[in-house]
Amino acid sequence: MTSFESSRVAEIHRELHTHLPSEPALRVKALESLLVEKGLLDSRTVDAWVEAYTEEIGPKRGAHVVAKAWTDPAYKARLMADAPAAIDEFGYLGGATSHLKVVENTDTVHNLVVCTLCSCYPFSILGIAPNWYKTAAYRARAVRDPRGVLAEFGVEIGDEVEVRVWDSTAELRYLVLPQRPAGTEDRDETALAGLVTRNSMIGTQRDLSPKTGEAS
Amino acid sequence: MDGVHDLGGKEGFGPIDVDEPETPFHYPWEGRVWAIVQSTGVADWTIDWWRHVRELIEPGDYLTRRYFDQWMQTQTAALIDSGVLTVEEVSTGVSQSAPEAGGPPMRPDEVLPAAASFAEDFSREIDAAPAFTVGDRVRARSMGAPGHCRLPQYARGRAGVIHAHHGAHVLPDASAQGEERAEHIYSVVFEADALWPEASGRRDRVFLDLWESYLERP
Repeated sequence: MTSFESSRVAEIHRELHTHLPSEPALRVKALESLLVEKGLLDSRTVDAWVEAYTEEIGPKRGAHVVAKAWTDPAYKARLMADAPAAIDEFGYLGGATSHLKVVENTDTVHNLVVCTLCSCYPFSILGIAPNWYKTAAYRARAVRDPRGVLAEFGVEIGDEVEVRVWDSTAELRYLVLPQRPAGTEDRDETALAGLVTRNSMIGTQRDLSPKTGEAS
Repeated sequence: MDGVHDLGGKEGFGPIDVDEPETPFHYPWEGRVWAIVQSTGVADWTIDWWRHVRELIEPGDYLTRRYFDQWMQTQTAALIDSGVLTVEEVSTGVSQSAPEAGGPPMRPDEVLPAAASFAEDFSREIDAAPAFTVGDRVRARSMGAPGHCRLPQYARGRAGVIHAHHGAHVLPDASAQGEERAEHIYSVVFEADALWPEASGRRDRVFLDLWESYLERP
C-alpha cells in the first residue's frame, strides 16, 4: 500500500542517501538486478525502452508535424485547434501529449517553454528532454531572464519582439511552431522537416534558415 | 511544499550548457533509469504522487544530482514506500522475499504500444461552472499549501489575466494524496514586470496553467 505521506518518504530518501553508493551507475545496476530477481522487470524490456527513445520516439516526430503545418494550411488549422488529434494523425500521440498546445512564433512573438516545478516535456513528439532543459539553471532562469537565456543559445531577440514564456505547471504541454525560413519555397515537406531542430520546438532557437552552402 | 524544486526565478545560477551532446541519454545508466521507471510501478500511484516523491529528495541532492539520478531516487523511494522493496534490499542488492505475486513484467514487444498508451487524459466533466472567463483579472493565491502544489512561489500574490480556460482537470494537490478531485483550469498570463523587479519596461509575459482554487479576484 502506498502511504501518500510526505514525512515517510522524506525519511526513506534520507536512509537511501546514507546507505547507497554515490556513483549512480552502481545504484542503477543494483536496482535493475533486484527488480529482475523479484520478477518485476525484464532486462530485455529495458533495452527495448532505450531503443524506442533512441531510434523511434524523438524530435524527428515534432519536425514532421512542423513541416506538415508549414506546407498544409488545413493541417496547421487542425494543429492549432486540437494538437493531440493532429499529432495522432501520424500516430505520435503518447506520453505527456494528451493536452498538447501549439504556440506559434511570428515576426513579433517568440515563444519559450520551461517547466519550473519539475521538467515536464512532450515526450511522445520530442523524445527525451535535453539535459539543459532539466537543469536547475534553466528552470530558474527561463521565466525570469528569457532574453539572457536565449542569448546564451545564440538567439538575439529585438525589442520589437515579445517573448512569451510558457511554464508547464499543469498537464498541458507546449510545442513551439517556429517560423518557416525565407527562401525555402521550393522545398518539400521532407526537406523542410530536415531544417526543424529540437531546440526550435522548445524555443531556444528562432532562425531555421538553411546554413550557407547547404543544398536546397 | 515550499521545496527547492520550486526553482522559477531563483537567482544565482550560472550559464546553460548549450553545447551538450544531443543524444537522449548521456550515460548508459540514464537510459536504464528511464526504462525502469516506464516498466515498473504500483497501481495506486498517480503522476502527482510521483512528482511529490521527487520533490521530497533531500535539498542538497535535488540541486546537485543529475536528472535521471533523481528519477532513480524517486522510483526507488516510491517502491519502498509502497512495500515493493525495502531499504535493506536496495542497499544490498539482494532480494529478501519471494517474487511478488502478480502479472509478469512488461515484455519487450509491449514497449511501443505502452509508449503510445501513456497518453493519459486528465480532463474531467464537473458540474461547477467556471468562476472566471477569458480576460478576467485575477490574483494568484498568496499562500502555498502543504504537500504537493503546482502554484509556483514566483506567481503567488501576483496579478494576471485569464488567457484561456481549458475545462476541468484533475487537481494535483489531491491527486498526490491518492484522491481524485477536478477543478477548472486556466492559462493565466502575467506581465514580466508584475513578477520581477528588474523587468520594468520589458514587453515579456509569462503564462502559467493554474487551477481555480489557486486564484482569487484581485
